[in-house]
Amino acid sequence: MKIIVCIKQVPERDAQVRISSSGKWIEESDIQFAMNESDAYALEEALQLKEKHGGEVIVLSAGPERAGTTIREALAKGADRAIQVESDNLNQLDALGVAQLLSAAAKQESPDLVLTGLQSDDLGYGQTGVIMAELMGLPHASLILNVEKTDNGVTVKRELEEGWFQNIDLSLPAVLMIQSGGTKLRYATLMGIKKAKTKELRKVSAADLGQSAAPAATLEKITQPQKQKSTQIIPGSPKEAAATLVEKLKFEVRVI
Amino acid sequence: MSGIYVVLEDRKGRFGRISLEAIAAANILAAQSGSKPTAIVIGAQTEALAAEAATKGVGRVVRIEHALLAPYTPDGYTAALQQFIAAESPDYIVFPHTYQVRDYAPALAARLGRVLIGDVTQIAEGPVFIRSLMQGRLSGSYKSTGILAIISVQSGAFRAEETQSSPAEITTFAPTIEASQIRTKPGEPFRGSAQTVDLGSAPMIVAVGRGIREESNLSLVQDLAASLGAEIAASRPICDNGWLPIERQVGSSGQTVAPKLYLAVGISGAIQHLVGMKGSQCIVAINKDAEAPIFEVADYGIVGDLFEVVPALTEAIKIARQ
Amino acid sequence: MSLLSATLAEPQSFATWEKLLLSALIIASAMLFFRRLAPILNRILKSRKDPNFSLAPLRKRIWDFFWEVVCQAKVIRERPLPGLAHAFVFWGFCAFALVTLNHFAVGFGLGFLDPVGFFGRFYSWFAAIFAAACAIGIFGLFVRRFFVRPRWLGEKISYESGIIAALIFILMVTYLAAFAVKSASPAALALWWIHSLSILVFLPIIPHTKHLHLVLSPATIFLSRGGFSKIPPLVGDEDFGLVTGKDLTQLTSLQSYSCVECGRCTEHCPANNTGKELNPKEIILGLRGYLNEFGPSSEQNIIGKYNSITADFQCTTCGACEYQCPVGIEHLPIIIGLRRGAVNTGAWEDEHGAKLFLALERGSNALGMSASERDKFIQKQAFPIFDGTQEYCLWLGCMGGYDPKGREIVADFARVMNYLGTSYGVLRKEKCTGDPVRRLGNDLLFQQLAESNLETLAQNRVKKIVTICPHCVRTIQEDWKEFGTPPEIEHHSEFLARYADKLPKRSEGAEGFNPRNTSTIQERVSAPAETPVAEQRQVSGHDFSHAENIPDPSGALAPAPQTPNNKIVFHDPCYLGRYRNVYEEPRAVASLAGEVVEAPRSHERSFCCGAGGGLVFLGEETGDRVSHNRANELIATGASTIRHPCPFCNSMFRDALAEKGDAAPQLLDIAQLTARALPKSSAAQS
Repeated sequence: MKIIVCIKQVPERDAQVRISSSGKWIEESDIQFAMNESDAYALEEALQLKEKHGGEVIVLSAGPERAGTTIREALAKGADRAIQVESDNLNQLDALGVAQLLSAAAKQESPDLVLTGLQSDDLGYGQTGVIMAELMGLPHASLILNVEKTDNGVTVKRELEEGWFQNIDLSLPAVLMIQSGGTKLRYATLMGIKKAKTKELRKVSAADLGQSAAPAATLEKITQPQKQKSTQIIPGSPKEAAATLVEKLKFEVRVI
Repeated sequence: MSGIYVVLEDRKGRFGRISLEAIAAANILAAQSGSKPTAIVIGAQTEALAAEAATKGVGRVVRIEHALLAPYTPDGYTAALQQFIAAESPDYIVFPHTYQVRDYAPALAARLGRVLIGDVTQIAEGPVFIRSLMQGRLSGSYKSTGILAIISVQSGAFRAEETQSSPAEITTFAPTIEASQIRTKPGEPFRGSAQTVDLGSAPMIVAVGRGIREESNLSLVQDLAASLGAEIAASRPICDNGWLPIERQVGSSGQTVAPKLYLAVGISGAIQHLVGMKGSQCIVAINKDAEAPIFEVADYGIVGDLFEVVPALTEAIKIARQ
Repeated sequence: MSLLSATLAEPQSFATWEKLLLSALIIASAMLFFRRLAPILNRILKSRKDPNFSLAPLRKRIWDFFWEVVCQAKVIRERPLPGLAHAFVFWGFCAFALVTLNHFAVGFGLGFLDPVGFFGRFYSWFAAIFAAACAIGIFGLFVRRFFVRPRWLGEKISYESGIIAALIFILMVTYLAAFAVKSASPAALALWWIHSLSILVFLPIIPHTKHLHLVLSPATIFLSRGGFSKIPPLVGDEDFGLVTGKDLTQLTSLQSYSCVECGRCTEHCPANNTGKELNPKEIILGLRGYLNEFGPSSEQNIIGKYNSITADFQCTTCGACEYQCPVGIEHLPIIIGLRRGAVNTGAWEDEHGAKLFLALERGSNALGMSASERDKFIQKQAFPIFDGTQEYCLWLGCMGGYDPKGREIVADFARVMNYLGTSYGVLRKEKCTGDPVRRLGNDLLFQQLAESNLETLAQNRVKKIVTICPHCVRTIQEDWKEFGTPPEIEHHSEFLARYADKLPKRSEGAEGFNPRNTSTIQERVSAPAETPVAEQRQVSGHDFSHAENIPDPSGALAPAPQTPNNKIVFHDPCYLGRYRNVYEEPRAVASLAGEVVEAPRSHERSFCCGAGGGLVFLGEETGDRVSHNRANELIATGASTIRHPCPFCNSMFRDALAEKGDAAPQLLDIAQLTARALPKSSAAQS
């Protein structure tokens, strides 16, 4: 199977994000970056499929130059080669714009399967995979925890709300959006990183893939979230606080 | 023609709260133009659903009905809505931000050359759509450029109205869909384990988190719940450990609840949990860390050791109920 | 007396056929000896060269050689009686050097030590004393091995040991008996031949048995890696640690052939003592077996027939094995090398291990918590932020920054520093030093953490670090050297000990420093109990009034223990004691608050708490818990307080003591007791 995994480099989970002076993005100068969490699960799913059924895993990522480290990390974990779509203004594109870039690059490879993470840890649109499927004319399924290859294509396990699940059959080629937590991730090894040095990382500029139209939605500005209600902290010893709370529950909330 | 449409989603034949919240959001947009939104129900048999939707304070209801629209598939819904939109040219389409909507609305938007502004928490003057970035640490203000804005609203972000109205007009739209267009075959939904509880309809919930430390301490919280007559729920780690069954899990990968009272005991308030309960009418948090994020959303909070506060609270409640 | 006038009898002369026979036997014996030794030497020399190995500093090597080989220090120290017996056997061998040479020379008529002449007589008597001691020694060891049968020598009966012991005994006895017979008598001749044959049989046996150490161990000890737990760097793109025979280095091979199977390593191993599979001796012998079967250029995985991966990952890297080994085997680089081979190639599949690695890949600390938790802690404690102007950087570490109990220690230490007027600051951002991943063998992650941290330290212009965690100290000072130049770092016990005379003691009944441990350090508290506390108030630059400075008598050891006694049992953490040789400084600080008593296993023999080697992150252990074993030992001393200077020991013992309920002794870091004795006005409550 030829599998393309789309990954995104995002600010590290622990990064202290500050709004940039323009107010339109965050200050990137002193934060560190890592692979988006659900993309790591997509990569793991792809690697496991390759280990079971053979084939090739290609990493596809759009972003500025620094994204190269995350791409190498994916190669270190076992992907065979990578394509980097160089783009310095990814944040200004909407989900459609990004998906157009990635689809154009993916189409050139004619993959059997395209896996993406469910949503990114920074913008969190959660749409890229679905739009890619639309642009590539392929069937898709999202919130996938598990992928099994069948004679006719794949059977995937989808997460539904409230603890329900569902199996879906699709034929290949298809696009799947992978949810975090469906499998155990592998750790990066020294051997993997050394091997990654010799793996192909092909760079493509966004312009080469054809430019999209102006974005359909724009991010006007970034602000600190407002707290919408004030919290009353009830003071006193446990006994005192409990008594006060019960009063409030009785007379203000009226549940007792 | 109002130009503002809201797509409702049903669960087992009933509208979930989030669909009503979507109507509330649509109403905010509608207020700016002075007319009521149009509700859309989609499926193979939508008569009963449409009748119910008609009483929810909308201008009219459209039934998009086709045999191939049940069970849900992204291909089916996308094709149906695309045709409908071509026919009616709306200005705004409001979706509830559900797993299902996330599965097809982006494709629909792309097909129309638009993009979905998803998981909106606020609609400001403009309209400007506000949503969370960086896992809740920042807020982004979005504007739609062009003729059609497609948004989805976050569960619990908008207050659903309880009022009933006199039934609105119901019309039907029959899309043209071929079986060959449906490219995925969904199976029957199944549960991880047997269902024994329905948190969604419980009026009061006492939820327990990692602060409880050990399974043997759960009895403390169970006593509290019993004293209130509330259901027990938990954050993800408790269910992962197997201390409580998974259907009691509240959060982004569990249940979304909005009871009258949500009492969070020893829960820090990670975003994945908050998303599942912040729509609750009254949130009370007990945690020994004054900086715990749960206090951001709580109406009342007690900063203290739950092993002391919870028994005291149970006692006080028992006395108050006598 | 006739005894004193006895001289060594020698046969008179030998016939030609006897000389020819002797020559033939000597040649045969020598050939058999080399035939067996040569392949072993070959395997050692054909092994990969050790990177980073240099003979300098020569002085240390010469000293170690003298102390450990000539003086047999390690052999004797740990097991005094058998050790002394062995020492006499060894010294006997050395003393016999000339004797043996002369003995064979006599066989060719070339004897040079005239038994009647002055020097010959003196020397033969000199050797006789050693012969007697050696004979008694070897007899004692024989009885120990075959009748007493200590567990450490293994289950199997070692026939070869018996044979060697018998040969040595015969050699000594035949020598001594030669004093009792007449020269040139048939008896003398008989004794001569028995003696010679014994030697000629002994010689070829040496390379076939663990007695190879006779030849190898002086070299092994001299050629040590040059430091305790000295982990070699990886070289080139193909080096992932000890994966196959090709990765075994000359030193590793030499060490594996030097093992005498004494079992001292296993005897002290905390994993082995709690029922786990790990047996350090078996790891070394496993390498020997591997080399014998596959050789040093083999591509066969070492893990397998001769090495168990389960055992490899049960090691806490406490170092008791390496510390004890009398023949210079360095177990730690070997075990860590085996782990590297498994982890760097992805062969190690462990749920908790992967979780630890992923937590550090994505985050800043080993506990998997968000860095904002550390920020909140810093804000709450109002720690000054390090900005390049302060003298010290207080490194919190993962335990100090995220573990609630570790935070208490840090907070108390900060209170003490405030009291002393020390200028310090805390870094805004810290990543884990990488200690657990270094000991588990994940070099990729370790390099990333080390380099990232070194950059942060350089950017912030950090010159001196003080921290509460011995693991951080070791990793920063030693292991980071591979990737840069770390700043100076010391442990808080060393820091506090320097200021011990400025810190208040408990006001009543303070016994002061326990004179039992008289090893000197300049900084130890020498004030006798009668010295009023007020005199110890330091000029700190803060304006404390006299009244405020007298510590609250009832607050010094709060809360009061069940049977309040003044005794404090001190636990030496592995990474402070064996790794860093710091034993007295923390005791000096501990003694400020009471009488320090010792556990049965203390100082270099201290028993691990079980957290090291990354093991605290690896989930449940099999067998008994190491921490419980040690905790029981500490409790048994009857002290009402356990003091230690390490947050990991703190965490492990806390769990162990929790099971003892109220009867358990208090568990405190040295900083905590010190802080409690401070006047209440210093710094806010944590």
